[in-house]
Amino acid sequence: MTREPFDRFAADQSEERRSSVRGGAKAGHEARGRALEADGVPFDRLRSLAARIKQHTLDHLDAYLRAATTSLESRGVTVHFAADAQSACGIVTDILDRRRAIRVVKTKSMVTEEVELAHHLEQRGIECIETDLGEFVVQLARDRPSHIVKPIIHKNRAEIAATFESHGLGPYDDTPEVITRRAREFLRRKYLAADAAITGANFISAESGRLVLVTNEGNSRFCLAATRCHVALVGIEKLVPTDRDVGALLDLLARSATGQRLTVYTEFIAGPRGVGQLDGPDEMHVVFLDNGRTQVLASDCRQILRCIRCGACLNVCPVYRQASGHAYRGVYAGPIGAVLSPLLEEPGRRFLEKADLPRASTLCGACHEVCPVDIPIEELLVRMRDRAKRSGATSGSTPSMGAWALVASQPDAWRAALSAGRLLAVLPGWLGPEPLRAWRDNHALPPWRGGAFRRWLEKRGAAHAR
Amino acid sequence: MPDDRALVMRRVGAALSSLRSREPLPVHPEDGTGASSVCASAARANPVAAFVTQLASVGGRAFEAPAPLAEWLTARGFLRGYCDREALGALAGAFAPPLSLDTRFMADRIDEYDFGITRAAGAIAETGTIILNDALTSRRLGSLAPWVHVAVLKRSDIVPTVSDAIRALGTDPYVVWCTGPSKTADVEGILIQGVHGPGEQLVLLT
Amino acid sequence: MTTFDMACRREPAASRHVKLMVTCLCDLFFDDAAAATVEVLEHLGCKVEVPEDQTCCGQPAFNAGDWSAARRVARHTARVFAGDEPVVVPSGSCARMVSHGTLVLFEGEADPREASVAPRAWELCDFIVNGLGVTRWPGRVRARLAWHRSCHSRGTTYGEAALTLLRSIADLRLVEFGEPEQCCGFGGTFSVSFPEISRSVGGLKLDAVMATSPDGVVSGDMGCLMHLDGLARMRGDRALPVLHVAQVLRDALRATKDEG
Repeated sequence: MTREPFDRFAADQSEERRSSVRGGAKAGHEARGRALEADGVPFDRLRSLAARIKQHTLDHLDAYLRAATTSLESRGVTVHFAADAQSACGIVTDILDRRRAIRVVKTKSMVTEEVELAHHLEQRGIECIETDLGEFVVQLARDRPSHIVKPIIHKNRAEIAATFESHGLGPYDDTPEVITRRAREFLRRKYLAADAAITGANFISAESGRLVLVTNEGNSRFCLAATRCHVALVGIEKLVPTDRDVGALLDLLARSATGQRLTVYTEFIAGPRGVGQLDGPDEMHVVFLDNGRTQVLASDCRQILRCIRCGACLNVCPVYRQASGHAYRGVYAGPIGAVLSPLLEEPGRRFLEKADLPRASTLCGACHEVCPVDIPIEELLVRMRDRAKRSGATSGSTPSMGAWALVASQPDAWRAALSAGRLLAVLPGWLGPEPLRAWRDNHALPPWRGGAFRRWLEKRGAAHAR
Repeated sequence: MPDDRALVMRRVGAALSSLRSREPLPVHPEDGTGASSVCASAARANPVAAFVTQLASVGGRAFEAPAPLAEWLTARGFLRGYCDREALGALAGAFAPPLSLDTRFMADRIDEYDFGITRAAGAIAETGTIILNDALTSRRLGSLAPWVHVAVLKRSDIVPTVSDAIRALGTDPYVVWCTGPSKTADVEGILIQGVHGPGEQLVLLT
Repeated sequence: MTTFDMACRREPAASRHVKLMVTCLCDLFFDDAAAATVEVLEHLGCKVEVPEDQTCCGQPAFNAGDWSAARRVARHTARVFAGDEPVVVPSGSCARMVSHGTLVLFEGEADPREASVAPRAWELCDFIVNGLGVTRWPGRVRARLAWHRSCHSRGTTYGEAALTLLRSIADLRLVEFGEPEQCCGFGGTFSVSFPEISRSVGGLKLDAVMATSPDGVVSGDMGCLMHLDGLARMRGDRALPVLHVAQVLRDALRATKDEG
């Protein structure tokens, strides 16, 4: 039996990094709690409604995709569908090529990372700059985000300042205000020189065709105001039936993510710029992305598609707090990542490569407790473990359950084991089955008491009538 | 250009065909107050007062008349500004030198504007949110690029709640709700005001 | 639709003839917790039957994703506990496995026999408060205890039921400690497959609890307690007694007998 690489990664982290992640996550969780309490938010009632809205949409996704496409097209938006990452990158590249766009600015978007769009564009000589401050730092440092809402939760100011210095953004200065001001100035030049803007979308209302973008920094407003072509890459699960339903989700999104009632900017985009407006895109595209989502939709874990990417599950997760986002080796980290990441890769080799992620959980259910769309994540994790086992994912670390099941379904064998276990007390620590050794590395063993309760009962039975 | 519309729609249909049951269309609760009945009742009772309070709580600032606004800008050295032509009237001549205004936004001098004055389409009382759109803003950059943004807002355009504002979205292809000045907490969780958007969000009530 | 609410607003128990599910942990290591459970139930006028062929609820295999092994064990357990009686379980996680996990294991079968045990499984405190309607506990316990609500009680009525009983015991004070919503880090096989994370998370829980200098830690789950106790002794903390809630209830009764 071998120790899980995920556990080793967590242990090998520097104390500083672990502390940054744990502190950031804890602060996010506490901010959420304060926000819900301060406004007396009826969380269970609201999230129940939000869950039903998302699940209803998923259960009728074909109809809503058609409705959304009609609404978008009637507003002058060109709609495309991409079956996979390669197709998505191809579509975006074609759009940019037709505009002869060679400089692009983009907002934070998980799906663009999923398909590795920036990398694809860079290889074709198209500059693609991340404008969200955290993602900008990640891009400069050639790092990966460690949290879906707070990408540089794992970094301290010294690391950021060093990155800025090595990329010519001025001499070393780790004052947060200076870091922010330098990013503002650098990126402003990029916005104004860019030919196109790439965004994701938090929601799309099928009724009105409105894209909803939720941000704090003003980067998405600037990306759109300063450029003439807008391309939005959107997972098919981002649909919501009506504008009113969007409102219900907005009630919970910012509170869950950062403890704000609303993020600073909530943009409702229903097409290219309005008549008479001098700034903004004259052309708009929405690219709906599958990339494994239809597979998830067909599975017994489909509720995971309700996710609105708030990050509350990461913030409360005791395992995420110890391991950080990088331990999840993918775009999606934390409890959501442990389910979605392997599921998007299913079937095949790449699923097996991620099959350890659902095991990296105590199944405590805190994620479910905070989820604004009531996803039963702890149940989905167990289903994923079943799926992994049936797919032949070998786990060197999980004790074999076959032998145990044999004993636990045969009362005589069980009763015999109750007595035999006495040997444990006299076994030296380095002997015995691997799970026992692993346990004894960190824990003092309790005394073996197999059979004691049953004997107690017998004695009592002799004294009392049963 | 590759387009997988038929393929994706087929896959969606196939995925849903095996469902034993489907979640019906959910009914929103009657009261429609959304998340916070606490804020909503205060907002309904007195939208203007609630708006001013909530605006302050998210780091914004409201002015009841143009003269104090002009004083505030002058005192802090925010002297050069852009103003949407249609918003000029609200300033009622209070903007005299040393304050100077352009009514045509000069994009090549974007960094020289200390403030931008544009019209708001409305506001949300319970969250202190200003609503901007393309129809009432001549230049989006005018409301976004300068460090200070002043939104000229009619008191009668303030709606009480988020739900009301959703209902009032209208037909404009670009509506943006601004709740305070731009912010980030990406660096060690420390809150910094003024990132890519304005660092000061002001409102001139009319 | 909301799957989290385990809908534990069940009908009160019809009879006081109950079957006891010992749980494998009590069978192997914590006989006194099981004995205390019997004494507590008999105090309430229950006739307690302990089927001798019982083994385990199947949770270890279920959580590990080996569902064919889990089904085998769950089938045996369902057979052993067949009947109409309430099945009382001195463990939140085992009770939840029987009432919820069993249904997941056999969801592919129309009307499986194994499902009959699911609605009859009660965690101990849940049974006392919501099954029998008893909300005040007699006797006294002179102690300051840290109540650890185990994670498997999330979405159920177990945690509230235990607090109702503990808070009603004379002289017993429950101390509050930091980050109570955080897991203890046990997670069954998790503690063995992810030992570093498990130890770190458990260490944080111990730090939070120790900071309040309690006389002991009480919980409805021996898994959590075995993990915390094992960690504490390994790292050389001052001795911190760990108690199953059944033991606290039984000790309260003994105080009455001693005084009476």
